[in-house]
Amino acid sequence: MGSKHQIQITVNEEEYDLLVHPNRTLLDLLRYDLGLTGTKEGCDEGDCGACTVIVNRKVMTSCIVLAVEVDGATITTIEGMQKGDALHPIQQAFVDSGAVQCGFCTPGMILTTKALLDEFPDPSEEDIKHYLEGNLCRCTGYTKIIDAVNNAVQLLK
Amino acid sequence: MDDYSIVGKRIPHRDAVEKVKGSAVFTSDIKLSGMLHGKILRSPVPHAKIRNINISKAEKLKGVKAVFTAKDVPLIKFSISPTWADKLILADKKVRYIGDEIAAVVAVDEEIAEEALELIEVDLEELPAVFDPLEAVQPDAPLLHEAVEKNISKTLSMECGHIEEGFAEADIILEDTFQTQAQSHCSLETHCCIATCSPTDEVNMWVNSQAPHPLRQKLAAALNIDAAKIHITTPVIGGGFGSKIDLEPAQALCVLLAKKTGKPVKIEHSRKEQFIATRMRHPTICKLKFGVKRDGTIVAKQAEVVMDNGAYNSHGPAVLAYHNVMFSTLYRVKNIKYEGRLVYTNKNWGGACRGYGDPQTSFAQEVMLDMIAEALNMDPIDLRLKNANIPNEMTANAVQITSCGLKECLVQARDKSEWTAKKAHKQKYRGLGVAAMIYTGGGSIGSGFNYSGATLQMNADGTFHLLMGALDIGQGSNTILTQMAAEIMGVDPESISLTTADTDTTFPCMGTFGSRVTFCGGSAVTEAAQGLKKQLLESAAEMLEANIEDLKMEEKKVFVKGSPDKALSYAEIGAASFYKKKKPLVAHGYYNGPDVPPEFNPVTYEGYPAPALVFGTHLAEVEVDPATGKVEVLNFVAAHDLGRAINPLLVEGQIEGGAVQGIGWSLMENLQFENGEIVNPNFHDYKMLTIKDVPKISSLLVETVDPNGPFGAKGIGECAMVPTAPAIVNAIYDAVGVRIKDLPATTEKVFQGLKTKA
Repeated sequence: MGSKHQIQITVNEEEYDLLVHPNRTLLDLLRYDLGLTGTKEGCDEGDCGACTVIVNRKVMTSCIVLAVEVDGATITTIEGMQKGDALHPIQQAFVDSGAVQCGFCTPGMILTTKALLDEFPDPSEEDIKHYLEGNLCRCTGYTKIIDAVNNAVQLLK
Repeated sequence: MDDYSIVGKRIPHRDAVEKVKGSAVFTSDIKLSGMLHGKILRSPVPHAKIRNINISKAEKLKGVKAVFTAKDVPLIKFSISPTWADKLILADKKVRYIGDEIAAVVAVDEEIAEEALELIEVDLEELPAVFDPLEAVQPDAPLLHEAVEKNISKTLSMECGHIEEGFAEADIILEDTFQTQAQSHCSLETHCCIATCSPTDEVNMWVNSQAPHPLRQKLAAALNIDAAKIHITTPVIGGGFGSKIDLEPAQALCVLLAKKTGKPVKIEHSRKEQFIATRMRHPTICKLKFGVKRDGTIVAKQAEVVMDNGAYNSHGPAVLAYHNVMFSTLYRVKNIKYEGRLVYTNKNWGGACRGYGDPQTSFAQEVMLDMIAEALNMDPIDLRLKNANIPNEMTANAVQITSCGLKECLVQARDKSEWTAKKAHKQKYRGLGVAAMIYTGGGSIGSGFNYSGATLQMNADGTFHLLMGALDIGQGSNTILTQMAAEIMGVDPESISLTTADTDTTFPCMGTFGSRVTFCGGSAVTEAAQGLKKQLLESAAEMLEANIEDLKMEEKKVFVKGSPDKALSYAEIGAASFYKKKKPLVAHGYYNGPDVPPEFNPVTYEGYPAPALVFGTHLAEVEVDPATGKVEVLNFVAAHDLGRAINPLLVEGQIEGGAVQGIGWSLMENLQFENGEIVNPNFHDYKMLTIKDVPKISSLLVETVDPNGPFGAKGIGECAMVPTAPAIVNAIYDAVGVRIKDLPATTEKVFQGLKTKA
């Protein structure tokens, strides 16, 4: 297993100094060491996108990223989306559009949408599909997720 | 249409806010103090005798708390019902598929548990295995369950009318064979359970089950403990699609390991385990013969079906019966014959999977109808209209139809898709395909049970609390059931707090499957709410010294008509009931129906007493790339007669999700076996649709108000993927003349078809 490594990360604007095993994934660190269970494990192979978090403005599937690889990084998880009492406009759009069913893919979908809209505030349908292609959803058939992204664009204007 | 203020409104999921915040607690998010982790050793071979298992090395590994084999667990077989019980928690003498449970380890963490699995030495004597159900019924085939001759778990034989006389009447007769493949449910959340168990068998379990009340009974039977000692709680559930109805060996092991160690134990499936060792859609081979008059009237239809059960029964016997009842009930055909066999093979076992046998039967029947339409030179929609079911009619297989909007679905889908204009001006490589469907709304009483209970109570502050046996697995029942209660009580649905599917505190419910919660749970809720409304009015009448008939309820107040200034608020009535009258207002509702008539045949499901029947039409427009055979679905129309839509936003979500699951099954999803081994047990190799693959989906809600459903509702969940595959396959034929008779319609198959044609 090897000796533990010291890492320093910022998660949802909070700084952490942590000792981690070299084989600890970012997903397990978030879920089990920091108690941020909003990030979900759907496949543990980087295929489904349920564990998506934003690392230095880029989306990553945290199940296939080692914690030691993100030393020094700034990370946003679903728990860091809401500032204050009101939901983030993307979260609100997902609620209002009926884009949430079982909710297991939802955190990953929302974080990917955030990364998309941070880069392209007015995305085309192609942009939306390109960005969200790595996030699987079995419940919604994606139609209302596309609606939610478009509604979020309007709410953010 | 009746005028309701809350029922029929597009209200977002009431649980959505917690889910978008990441604060919704799913089973795998729960961490109990001192919790241990269990892992299961599974058979690496499809068929073998267990000679010996040596666990001594595994037991000695630091951090391992217990290792269990069949010697340590009750050897009581289980299934969906005692009649079909054929599965042990851990295999004792032999294993029957790759994935069969052999041993279990519990350790301080998952890594150590996994390491311990590798230290268990299993001496297996491999036996000949059989993977093809047609080979499995041959006299020399190896037997999976020694007492089951020819590996046939169930035979189903039904004839209504006179099949040969029917064929004699026919102007044309068509025969063909259709095959469907295994599909994995792929809920994004895998199976997970956490259990504690005292030395005297008091069990607490947190589990993502679609059917917690039946699970309690099944656990009790499999572990030989008193069901009353088992308390099951369901956290937020990440989808099911039928995969989370059964008792899982992991759940029983979780309890036993918790008892042994005195600690909470968690067992969570990996994605690979989810693919290889939880249920799947039964593959089928369906040989059809149809006799038709020149005017399109179907005078006789016959099906000979082989359903691949896999190694164990699960829901297989009932899925086969459903395959028959759906085949036989759709369309007004007088002469029907159905012969079905459910056959064991050394593969993962089939189970309940969205549609419960109906997508398989729909594929065969609806592609056959397309072939008939072509043979008669008749429009495929006209052919279906000619034979469509009508309201208030008993079918040949003695199924009573009440409300029926099949013709409306066909006509509305035709109009919405611009079928007529597009057919008249056909574009090269583009095609349109249609398929119709029937399903039950309100679940099934085939087992003799179809129950769901509700309790609605008024709190001292005048708010309401609803206790439901039914549970929301993402489909939205928490939202629509509180809408129903809110409509009757005249309050905002969000203001009604909710306890669901807790086996100690809620009345039992069969669970979330079979498009039953809206109908069954809804019937219970409306009965409870009507009862509470009566109590509320009686209480107010007493306080106001008025007659009940003179009272009016409005804006959470009760007053004598014409005197709104002397109103009693719900809060005043609630407080009085608790503190003055010392008789809190509470009412119950319980559904268990419909009554089973003596004519019902529990083997064939002839005379099946459906709570309600739902109908629908899917219509696909596709484009085929002639160079590669790749099929693109351009437009998709889904018209569903679901009774009243309690919440159209959520209904659309069911239809869109179902259609996309159906398109996946039509074109790409295929759990592939090689010598019994699933070769694509991951999301990389098992392809389901991504957001890039989805067409525009138009949902049409045909709201035939059902006489028996709550507010006239019937159901939608299972129905939404039933006729998708035949609609797409028929569209492919319309586009390029390639007739796919075995799913999925992969690019390669369409390409081969184009090549053969050329």
